[in-house]
Amino acid sequence: MSRSSRAVVTFPKDVKRGELFSIRAIVQHDMESGFRHTEQGVRVPRDIIREFVCTYNGRPVFRADLHPGIGSNPIFIFDAKADQSGVIECRWSGDNDYLTVLQQPITVL
Amino acid sequence: MSSRRLFISSMTAICLSPWHRAQASTSDAQQVISKIIGNQSVKTGRIYFELPPLVENGNLVAVKCSVQSPMTANDYVKVIHMIAEGNPLPNVVSCYFTPLSGKAEFSTRIRLADSQRVWVLAQMSNGEFWRTSADTVVTLSACTEMI
Amino acid sequence: MIQAFGSLAISFFLFSHAAVADSRQSAYQLLSPTNQAMQNDMNLNPALFAIMDGEALWQEKSQANGKSCASCHGDVKQSMRGVFATFPKIIHQKLQNVEGQINACRTRHQHLTVFAYESKPMLALSTLIAFQSRGLPIQAASIGSVKNDYESGKNLYFQRIGQLNLSCAQCHDDRAGLKLGGSVIPQAHPTGYPIYRIEWQGMGSLQRRLRNCLSGVRAEPYAYGSKELVQIELYLMHRANGMIIESPGIRP
Repeated sequence: MSRSSRAVVTFPKDVKRGELFSIRAIVQHDMESGFRHTEQGVRVPRDIIREFVCTYNGRPVFRADLHPGIGSNPIFIFDAKADQSGVIECRWSGDNDYLTVLQQPITVL
Repeated sequence: MSSRRLFISSMTAICLSPWHRAQASTSDAQQVISKIIGNQSVKTGRIYFELPPLVENGNLVAVKCSVQSPMTANDYVKVIHMIAEGNPLPNVVSCYFTPLSGKAEFSTRIRLADSQRVWVLAQMSNGEFWRTSADTVVTLSACTEMI
Repeated sequence: MIQAFGSLAISFFLFSHAAVADSRQSAYQLLSPTNQAMQNDMNLNPALFAIMDGEALWQEKSQANGKSCASCHGDVKQSMRGVFATFPKIIHQKLQNVEGQINACRTRHQHLTVFAYESKPMLALSTLIAFQSRGLPIQAASIGSVKNDYESGKNLYFQRIGQLNLSCAQCHDDRAGLKLGGSVIPQAHPTGYPIYRIEWQGMGSLQRRLRNCLSGVRAEPYAYGSKELVQIELYLMHRANGMIIESPGIRP
């Protein structure tokens, strides 16, 4: 059973064909770096999102390999070219069986 | 300043084992960059890199990278890497694009452990490498806090 | 020369008799433009998820008696609008801040145990409620209704404490705008709470921040939920009366 958390993906509901549009994807995750210590000096183990992939009707638009240097509640803002109506899917996967997938429709006029 | 840093990092290398070192050295970051580039040459420039010169708290720093490119099937930006010299782990993020991205640009929020130089490396579809860097002053440490 | 002085005197007279400029300033003004943008845009504000968690909790039915916050309070946007701006205040003869009132509701009306301060669910609910006052001015309880607590809170604010023997007033009234270490000392108005503090990498209450200050002057911090901390909160809200609430705020 994989762990999951909230995610919010924002982009315009409809875009003109051939135009670029901006996608904003933010997910709830502490991104425990693995470099923090408790007061007793015990290291807190790493627990981060490792990969973020955004596909547009199954075709990759943006992919990121994340390391502990990415801040909590990771956000990515990037672009895509509108060419067909369909589905934008954002998928976050990481340590300890973490997986969140969010799909949202897009209309291309 | 750089010779002092060299002295400190060499002293650190002698005294502490790698697992206890709180901060990577300039050479760690260069090793990561060398591994990515391999034998290829790398040109300086072409990348637009927005990094605040003064950061109030290194736990959450907004950054933006952009590379001009036609982003066609024959000529696009394949990947942009970000490497932080002063973080415990130099690799921060690697972002991959396709012609469908339309623009080779991304914004995100990163952690910076200390005042340092941050490198951005971009690889084109033809294999060419470009790089740029920016320096920043961080007024509070990010990765090595106590809970 | 005399003419110039005269016009200067007249303009000074006019200025001082026009609406007196409020010299009070939120720590928002000290943020970098990027962090200000992060606070303003709820899509970028890391507190976004705390609010969503709060919305879910608002609907959650008590396992003891089936009541949720929504059972009594309905739509949070309607019932809680402007409410945060009026706390702390006297409810059932006790000075309550929002956390205290949330726990009073949980125990009395939902027959559930209390949420600990700074726990995820407590912060989620307090952030949700504070968010309903965003953009509204602070409307502190009338001093008459809280006289004793107000006086205690004021005394605590002006009292020198800790090994460093400092009072809140010495930094935040007398030296606001000057620097402590690398940072500018803010006037310490509670307009952004609960905040997403970048140093904490998470949400936190005003009481958490007050306890940070107390340990900063090497004093024994008052316990969460203690009478003293709520009284200080009360005094701070009065001191900031009329200022616009920004919750949830971002702070470095």
